[in-house]
Amino acid sequence: MERERGNRRGRKYTNGEITVYWKPDACVHASHCYRELLEVFDPGRRPWVDMYGASTGEIIRTVNMCPTEALTWKWNDEEKNRDVDPSNTNHVNFRRPELLKNDSTANAEPVSVKIMPDGPVVINGTFILKYSGKEKKVEESIISLCRCGSSNHLPFCDGTHRKTGFNDN
Amino acid sequence: MEDGNKEFRPQATVEVTEDGPIRITGNFMLSDSKRDIMDSPEEVFLCRCGKSKNKPYCDGSHRH
Repeated sequence: MERERGNRRGRKYTNGEITVYWKPDACVHASHCYRELLEVFDPGRRPWVDMYGASTGEIIRTVNMCPTEALTWKWNDEEKNRDVDPSNTNHVNFRRPELLKNDSTANAEPVSVKIMPDGPVVINGTFILKYSGKEKKVEESIISLCRCGSSNHLPFCDGTHRKTGFNDN
Repeated sequence: MEDGNKEFRPQATVEVTEDGPIRITGNFMLSDSKRDIMDSPEEVFLCRCGKSKNKPYCDGSHRH
């Protein structure tokens, strides 16, 4: 009956060497993945992830760009997961340390406002969000606001810019 | 219940104006996808209708 928005089940994809985990509910449509590596991440294709479209290194590099935990990855060989470079923040063993720290200094960082080319504006940090008469506290978190005007979930981005061909020029 | 460290300290305010732009004020950094800092203004109005000729900034085109 009550069908919570989201809660869609995640998926995983492998090329035998690594496994990429996809959690649709965590996606803010920042669009890094398909901009960087369309051969692997193509939202217009089913399945949308083709693990044989590029090298393992390129896939890891792109997954690490994902600003949320929508995309994470792991070596299939558990041995190799033990000594992963901690800078690989989207490795499943390293849970986005910059978002987990809750010391007071983390709170004082300027809010990051990032304009995604032909896409949304991705806002990351601790700030007050006002919309439709509401005022929300956003704490050490990421939101993505529509810039094309076509989202079905305004003011938030729902990925519609890709279908309507919105561009910045 | 005081949780010393977990005090909410907003650095900026993001206001989605009605049928208008996104107004951002406070301590924030504006960048494009390459992480280049476009500038660090105190206030910015970002287009959210897609019609501005000065993207990402609002130029008032939403009114037409």
